Amino acid sequence: MGSGLGVMAMANLLKAEGLLADDALQIDPGAPHAARLPHFAPRARNVVVIFCSGALSHVDSFDYKPELIKHHDTPLPGGDGLLTFQGANGNLKQPLYKFRPRGECGKMTSDLLPHIGELSDDLCYIHSLHTKTATHGPGENCMSTGFTLEGFPSMGAWATYALGSECDELPAFVAIPDPRGVPQSSINNWGPGFLPAAFQGTPFNAANPVRNLARPAGVSAETDRATRAYLRSLNEEHMARYEGDFELAARISSYEMAARMQLSVPEVTDLSSESEHTRRMYGTDDPNTNKAGFARNCLLARRLIERGVRFVQLFNGAYAMGEGVGNWDGHKQLKTDYDVHGPILDQPAAALIRDLKQRGLLEETLVVLCTEFGRMPTFQENTNGRDHNPKGFTAILAGAGVKAPFTYGSTDEFGWRAQENPVSVHDFHATILHLLGLDHTRLTYYHNGLQRRLTDVFGEVVKGILS
Amino acid sequence: MGICGVSWTVLLTLLPQAGAEVGQDPVVGTKINFEREIEPILAARCIKCHGPDKQKEGLRLDRAASAFRGGDSGEPGIVPGDSARSELFRRITANEHDRMPFKGEPLTAGQVALIERWIDEGAIWSENGPVDADQPTHWSFQPIGDPSPPLTGRSWGSSPIDAFVLRRLEEEGLRPSPAADRVTLIRRLFLDLHGLLPTPARVEAFIRDRREDAWERLVNEVLASPRYGERWAQHWLDVVQYADSHGFEMNNPRPNAYQYRDWLIEAFNDDVPYHRFIFEQLAGDTVGVDAATGFLVAGAWDQVESKLPADVALQRQDELTAMVNTTGTAFLGLTLGCARCHAHKFDPVPQRDFYAMTAVFAGVRHGERPLYSKEDALVLSQRAETEVEIESLRSELPRLRPAITSRYNEERFEPVHASAVRMRIFATNGAEPCIDELEIWSGEINVALTAVPSSSGDYPNNPKHKLEHINDGQFGNPRSWISNESGSGRIRLDLSEPVMVDRVVWGRDRHAQFADRTPTNYIIEVRVAPDRWTMVAGSQDRLLAPPPPGSIGGEDRLSSGTSEITRRIFEAEERVRALKTASPDMVYAGKLEQPGPIHRLYRGDVTSKREAVAPDTISVLGTLGLAMDAPEKERRAALARGLTDPSNPLTARVMANRIWYHHFGTGIVSTPGDFGANGGRPSHPELLDWLARQLMRGDWSIKHLHREILNSSTYRQASGPSATGLARDAGARLLWRFPPRRLEAEVIRDCILQLSGSLDLSMGGPGFSTFKPNDNYVRVYTPKETTGPTEWRRMVYMHKVRMERAPLFGAFDLPDAGQVCPKRSLSTTAIQALNLFNGIFVLQQAQRMAERLTELGGDPVEHAYRSAYGRKPSTREASAAETFIKEQGLAAFCRAILNSNELVFLP
Repeated sequence: MGSGLGVMAMANLLKAEGLLADDALQIDPGAPHAARLPHFAPRARNVVVIFCSGALSHVDSFDYKPELIKHHDTPLPGGDGLLTFQGANGNLKQPLYKFRPRGECGKMTSDLLPHIGELSDDLCYIHSLHTKTATHGPGENCMSTGFTLEGFPSMGAWATYALGSECDELPAFVAIPDPRGVPQSSINNWGPGFLPAAFQGTPFNAANPVRNLARPAGVSAETDRATRAYLRSLNEEHMARYEGDFELAARISSYEMAARMQLSVPEVTDLSSESEHTRRMYGTDDPNTNKAGFARNCLLARRLIERGVRFVQLFNGAYAMGEGVGNWDGHKQLKTDYDVHGPILDQPAAALIRDLKQRGLLEETLVVLCTEFGRMPTFQENTNGRDHNPKGFTAILAGAGVKAPFTYGSTDEFGWRAQENPVSVHDFHATILHLLGLDHTRLTYYHNGLQRRLTDVFGEVVKGILS
Repeated sequence: MGICGVSWTVLLTLLPQAGAEVGQDPVVGTKINFEREIEPILAARCIKCHGPDKQKEGLRLDRAASAFRGGDSGEPGIVPGDSARSELFRRITANEHDRMPFKGEPLTAGQVALIERWIDEGAIWSENGPVDADQPTHWSFQPIGDPSPPLTGRSWGSSPIDAFVLRRLEEEGLRPSPAADRVTLIRRLFLDLHGLLPTPARVEAFIRDRREDAWERLVNEVLASPRYGERWAQHWLDVVQYADSHGFEMNNPRPNAYQYRDWLIEAFNDDVPYHRFIFEQLAGDTVGVDAATGFLVAGAWDQVESKLPADVALQRQDELTAMVNTTGTAFLGLTLGCARCHAHKFDPVPQRDFYAMTAVFAGVRHGERPLYSKEDALVLSQRAETEVEIESLRSELPRLRPAITSRYNEERFEPVHASAVRMRIFATNGAEPCIDELEIWSGEINVALTAVPSSSGDYPNNPKHKLEHINDGQFGNPRSWISNESGSGRIRLDLSEPVMVDRVVWGRDRHAQFADRTPTNYIIEVRVAPDRWTMVAGSQDRLLAPPPPGSIGGEDRLSSGTSEITRRIFEAEERVRALKTASPDMVYAGKLEQPGPIHRLYRGDVTSKREAVAPDTISVLGTLGLAMDAPEKERRAALARGLTDPSNPLTARVMANRIWYHHFGTGIVSTPGDFGANGGRPSHPELLDWLARQLMRGDWSIKHLHREILNSSTYRQASGPSATGLARDAGARLLWRFPPRRLEAEVIRDCILQLSGSLDLSMGGPGFSTFKPNDNYVRVYTPKETTGPTEWRRMVYMHKVRMERAPLFGAFDLPDAGQVCPKRSLSTTAIQALNLFNGIFVLQQAQRMAERLTELGGDPVEHAYRSAYGRKPSTREASAAETFIKEQGLAAFCRAILNSNELVFLP
């Protein structure tokens, strides 16, 4: 079709007259996911984000603080009258899980997540993250979209808007909710915001495939195929009266993509072709059904990456069951909660990283393990749990373009506040985009008065972690 | 400022260099001369970045107004007479990275001292300096013109609109398309204005209507239908981010939001004039249209409250920002939210304006208020009047004396020369009045003890109750006087000699054994001359006593009837109780309260309060002239009046453009929510002004503007492509054809229900949900697997769950109500295809459509084509359809029709 050229010609004409807002990218509606070039040579082609919903406690997992152990059960210096999200705080409390050196690098991590700790030689820990809010919903929004408010495009939406996809049989951006349910901010974590809907994450997991994917019950395969063909003939008949109209052509091709997905999605979610060894490594058949469910999601993530899906966001933790029951929000009885959640996350997530590495996929894939904020080094007054702490927390990067083993930044001696090399969520996003070959200041989309960015008007690439 | 985060070494502190640079040695006693002494410093060290070429951080120091106002941070640049509060002075003396000039060495101590003194002396700027016009030059702030339609080379079209469009086309070497056929026209009109298909019969009638004004008649008919309001209200709901849930993590339902949606539908149907439409949404509560202010709180609301005061303040500021931002986007086409932290980067909106607008809404909180019927509103106003009356009566109460007690009563009065004192009793709280002692005080002496008592009559034959007991100096029932008449009596004491008296004290039983027989209505008089008695005290100014514990009703109340005022209050209270209203519906239209002061927040930080800001509109539109503590309602009402002032260049243009956008798919300004410098430029500026004038001249009638547009030849063009058109202007921005486009989610769904015969057209009310009910603390929205007649109403009545994608149709670019959505994206995705092709809803409706076609009898193919496409099938199409139906069945045929491009595109 010559219309693409026509679009460009007119776009230029209008732009010269200032009639067209200056969109950075011209997307062909007929092929919104066509692969597009990054701004510069990328280190990573794909991204897997493992999002630990509910605020995973860094002081009980990855951020080793000997002083916290030494000062166990004493007041937090400078914490007089400190109020956090749920109110007053008690004394400092040492980690609820023992820390040990792991990997050849000897990184100190806790017994909460030993499998992940063992991979430390391949991991880059950022201990100095901080964020803008102490509330889960806004915190998840911030980590996934760069804004505490709702309605902004998610990381994955930005990445696929910029780069399209290498795979034309599967959605470019897949969100994999925890088998227990959706996270606090639900679909805002993978929403398109004001970007075209084409760039939203398509949510499915190993247990609940894409809605409306299967041929409807009561329609035979033959009728289904014939109806599709008949629909195509109706549309072509109509198209003859609108020759060159790309919107109509795009709609015809969307039905073809849908037909391909009907084959490819069941294939990718069918884990039966995986070897016994692989399934065991992930724990897909574990008697703990929550763990087995998350393990199947991790294995699905690898299969999606293998097939060229650009961005996979994998959730660990669901909110609706209540505080701490289904996620990392350990306010009142952290040890009891985490004894449940640790094993669900640990082996499957570690297996995903290990599997990607064994298959050579980690060279082109960035793995991100993050959460919305950290937890206090103190216990909340009269509880056995920790309150929200937006001032310091840990994230892990692994894979393409990232130094490993490596530790970047630190919190203060007790793990309360980011101290050395603080990394804002905007810096974190700028770095992820950088690894994808994108300049976060140039990846923009005009919305209601502003050229919007994932990083708002902030963000510096954390150069120190780049390999 | 943009330099934060960059640290640089301070090379020099302010060394006391008494060098010989410009402006040294100011003569003591002479005022500093700006042109000679200050301007050269600014020119040498500041103007490069803050002058005519660059205005870093929005500051220029070559113009007085800008220099005094300051830069984007909102901090005042120069405060005449107060260098300490002047940002200019602060920055040239600041330490480390805040210091100016940013590059190079700091100003010398001498220069700093000069500037300090100049500011402290009043900062007198050059008298001959450049005039700081400071007028916005951006097109949308210029007055709305009154252009005449241009003369064009060809004759085309019947409307002035067409002349404007044609001229622009001719400039680009393009030509308009021929008129569309009648089938296309009527389908376009129905889909555009109703979001529904015309019935085959209506299509047929229009085709056969050979009257000259057939189209104009059709337009009028379509505009008069209630379906119009249902369709066009949806456009407005997008802008204001309406939803039936609060959003954020809890996302609980907002069950009484729908009243605003219903008001909106009615307002469009009734063609409420646009200025009134604005007023009611901002201040409808002042004119008895409460539901309309649902506008104010249509946005998201975070119910999770932090314990941290700063977090709470931030949440509140977010709520207010949403109100300001929605108002700006909806009515002014300005992105006011941008000025929360600093001056707007592109538009003439200083930070202070944002907080002035914030102050307008500062009394509005998320929540419900009662929604009264018209009759009840009348009752309420009567009640309010009575309550005012009660208030004014109560204001006299402090002057009343304590209530009568049976034990002890003191009557003080201005000292008076008296020879006798008497107490006349007209009522008691039961039986004959009893007094145990009557004391008459002259200073510290009870002169009653030496007085001679007499009475109207004494209780007979009881040793406890005797006349002499009245002044025997002993208290209690056994030493008291009782009258011989029930409810009344008179007791008198003649003093031994005339004396100044100043108070009388009496009781019924000072031992508190008995409380009956207490006088409740009495007067006390003194004899000032042989035959003259003067009243000095009485029960008329005493409070109503509270009923004693255990008493029933009011008969024990000691002073019933003692006080005229208390009686009137009592009566008024009875009247209020009688003014009953039906228990009102509630509406999510905001809770209103008188707010405290609003402060400008430095960099938008809720912990960095600066000066208090009075409620006002944005300064480029003038001022509302409100006081800092203006009544809450008045703030919103004044803003509404300001917005619809005919001299406001934005309001009419923005609405005219919005209407144009929904008719043609692209606005004359392509960014309907942003008329600022960062928004699109108008493709037809004069046409936009002409339309804005039409809107105002037509008494702000929206339907009038629709008619102007719909009756134009521009709207009635064919939508088919032309090679030249596509090559020059593929998006048909210049309207060489009517731009065809995919229909919105609501229209597709409603049309499917219409074709299957399932559509329920009942209007208004709470609506329906396509999610299963649940009561989790944090709502989980699981779609219902199947829908039934309850869900087969128009989609405008479907519960909009914030941030949750509606099943099936959510994939069709439905806004998520997380942000204002003045313009929807229109994307095409495989997920849409899967949903529409495989979704149970569509399959079910295809089945119902097949059944309906069978019931109707005749040729199902012809009927399907005529209902869905408004036309008969060609012979080839008919035979292809028949073959397909024979092999796969009628339902499969309907499934294909419901998925087809011809159905889901606006022709």
